[in-house]
Amino acid sequence: VAETATPTIPGRCKPLSSPTSILEEARARLHVSAVPDSLPCRDKEFDDIYSFVESKILDGTGGCMYISGVPGTGKTATVREVTRALQQACDDGELPYFKYIEINGMKLTEPRQAYVQILKQLTKQKATPDHAADLLNKQFTTRGPRKETVVLLADELDLLWTRKQDVMYNIFDWPSHPHARLVVLAVANTMDLPERIMMKRVSSRLGLTRMTFQPYTFRQLQEIVVSRMKSLKAFDDDAIQLAARKVAAVSGDARRALDICRRATEITETMSPSKKANILVSTCHVDAALQEMFSSPKIVAIRSCAIQEKLFLRAIVAEFHRTGLEEAEFAKLYSQHISLCRFDDLQPPSTSELAGMCSRLGSIRLLLVEHGRNDLFMRVRLNVSQDDILYALKEKSGV
Amino acid sequence: MKQKQMKSKKSTVSGDSLMEQLPLQKTCDLLRHRVSQLSTPPQIHGYDQERRQLLDLIRRTGTTGESNSALLIGPRGCGKSMLVENVVEELMLDKEIRDNLLHVRLNGLLQTDDKIALKEITRQLQLENTVGTKVFGSFAETLQFLLDALKSGSHSSKPILFVLDEFDLFAHHKNQTLLYNLFDVAQSAQAPVCVLGLTCRLDVVELLEKRVKSRFSHRQIHLFNNITLGDYTQLFISYLSLPDHFTDTKFVKTWNKHIQELASDQTVLGVLRRQFEFNKDVRSLQQLLMYPVCCVNENHPLLLPADFVDGMKIQTTDTKSAMLHGVSILELCLIIAMKHLTEIYDGELFNFEMVYSEYRKFAQKRSSMQVYEKAVVLKAFEHLIALELVKTMDGSGSRVQKEYRLLLLLVHPSQILDALQKYPNCPTEVKQWAQCSVI
Repeated sequence: VAETATPTIPGRCKPLSSPTSILEEARARLHVSAVPDSLPCRDKEFDDIYSFVESKILDGTGGCMYISGVPGTGKTATVREVTRALQQACDDGELPYFKYIEINGMKLTEPRQAYVQILKQLTKQKATPDHAADLLNKQFTTRGPRKETVVLLADELDLLWTRKQDVMYNIFDWPSHPHARLVVLAVANTMDLPERIMMKRVSSRLGLTRMTFQPYTFRQLQEIVVSRMKSLKAFDDDAIQLAARKVAAVSGDARRALDICRRATEITETMSPSKKANILVSTCHVDAALQEMFSSPKIVAIRSCAIQEKLFLRAIVAEFHRTGLEEAEFAKLYSQHISLCRFDDLQPPSTSELAGMCSRLGSIRLLLVEHGRNDLFMRVRLNVSQDDILYALKEKSGV
Repeated sequence: MKQKQMKSKKSTVSGDSLMEQLPLQKTCDLLRHRVSQLSTPPQIHGYDQERRQLLDLIRRTGTTGESNSALLIGPRGCGKSMLVENVVEELMLDKEIRDNLLHVRLNGLLQTDDKIALKEITRQLQLENTVGTKVFGSFAETLQFLLDALKSGSHSSKPILFVLDEFDLFAHHKNQTLLYNLFDVAQSAQAPVCVLGLTCRLDVVELLEKRVKSRFSHRQIHLFNNITLGDYTQLFISYLSLPDHFTDTKFVKTWNKHIQELASDQTVLGVLRRQFEFNKDVRSLQQLLMYPVCCVNENHPLLLPADFVDGMKIQTTDTKSAMLHGVSILELCLIIAMKHLTEIYDGELFNFEMVYSEYRKFAQKRSSMQVYEKAVVLKAFEHLIALELVKTMDGSGSRVQKEYRLLLLLVHPSQILDALQKYPNCPTEVKQWAQCSVI
């Protein structure tokens, strides 16, 4: 059955509704999936990769390139754009024909499935990993009538690591064969991956052609958002700058900046009282979105606890102060809790109830607790700083 | 018990009470349904903003084909699944969305690895590699098939709503392959999906790998119950009141009036306040109401404040003390001996020989009780270990002889004193011995 099946998702009964307002249009453009035709702020990287691949295709040789950078810096998008441009040049007759293949380490169940994927995309054949490896070996290492160059994008390279590293070795070894005509573009996150996890013979085959994608600076992030908002007046300039500066300070991840802007449009929509046609997303909306995405909920969680749970947190802090350690046994905390109850004139809980409370706080990870089997000797640690707890509890009692 | 049965028989036999019994029976069924969480509650308290956000999010996936991902975070029993169910129920009333949205439910406790989860997804989506309820192909093939299917989808294909219950367990799968792929689909121009994760861990985002985290949209909807005692009482009323269209209007009126009276009763309020102080979430309220609701029968047609007090007592009993009521006097003596040992030697570990000599000292010098042989005492001692009132420090496979294994007492001194107060026919000597360790 699976052999003949064609993978599809059932179609819609009714077509999608197209965006009606400016904000909806902006949201559609800001979605991460709406990759623009040319990526802003990645011109240099684009040129480098383009000339590398182009020269290999023209010469009819093979080679490897290692591309690294933190997530969300446009690595995969740039490589895809390069191949798009090359395909265009190929269609125009400026370049000989080449074939583009893509594999992603995260989309494979195990590293050796990479062979199956490559073979499938190359010849539409289906085979077991071992057989596919043999076939590929034969294809790339022996002289054949094949004329076209193959460009292979190996995304999430670190997932292709095996103990013997045979998958990585093969992928980097094939280009060095004179008849292979294979260009490998390997993409991963860490800069020093070849030195860290690869054996000498693998990293030497990878070669020294490397490229690092730096995280976006706030100017670049701003430019990315502005370029997507071209000829659409939905954002205040300061609002975009605020989002860009915040994201650049934390990670420089373009996805994050786009998500924040998208969330800000939603907030604007819900906060605006009337359905006016032209509402601008202002800094306060972006600020609300930033608060939502970056703030830690722990203080709010502590404040929304029941009275006895708060008291238990206070008992933990008191016990830590008493012993000077960052860890306490449940029996000690119980005694401490009882005495705090007496101070505050509350009804003291039974041990079972307190244990329940402790495991509740442990399940939302305000506390780190051991397994409940240890009972009275269960060790309890805080997952929040003591200052945060005191701050959260003090503010409340002051009101 | 027998009397009660007799009475109930009588009442069923007599014809006139049959009519009265009917609404009561229905009431019991309805309330039990509500309290045991089989049906959605009559009203959602709070969460207006969160609900609207969630509704907008799923609706946009349904109508404009926008791909989204979000996490619902909140402590256990705060109503995460209830909220999602409620929102989906409301959206399904809309014909356009009902016809167009596919709904996939996954649970981290059932789909313990990606292989099972993938099969479940293809089964629920009824893709072409499923026949009946069987999914064909190996793990790798299923993944490729699913990815191809999602990739071949475009804006013209049906949007899919993925609801991942116990999301934090999915983050423990190997390489987080499933999460990466779901989020990746949500972030690229493929079939429109909406990925909703439900979890109780506040730090769940830190569990994600950095590339998975980058693909997640960081939309987090936090559900904290910020209810006051007044709201809590209102919830209490809403859980126990009957709807107006319930069969017998007269009965409904008297019942609801009675519930209103209950809610202003000082005893009931005291019980509610105590529960509120300990645990604010709604599920604990439901558990508290369980006992009183189950008490209602034809001999006891109305809820009484005393029922709530009883229910509270059942919930708050200390389980260890209750267990201590069931042990024999000899075992109790051993527990007291162990308590003295831990107190004298300040939490040091002890073994059976030490406990035995302590027991002998007491039994021979101070009491008129029978002094048992060592074998009998050892038997009682092993019983205590089996009850996990005492814990051995070394693993079960150790080669140390039974009498010399190091042990810890898992009973708090206050629990022992508490249990001795209520122990039936406890000898006075034992009580006195428990109070002071000097013999």
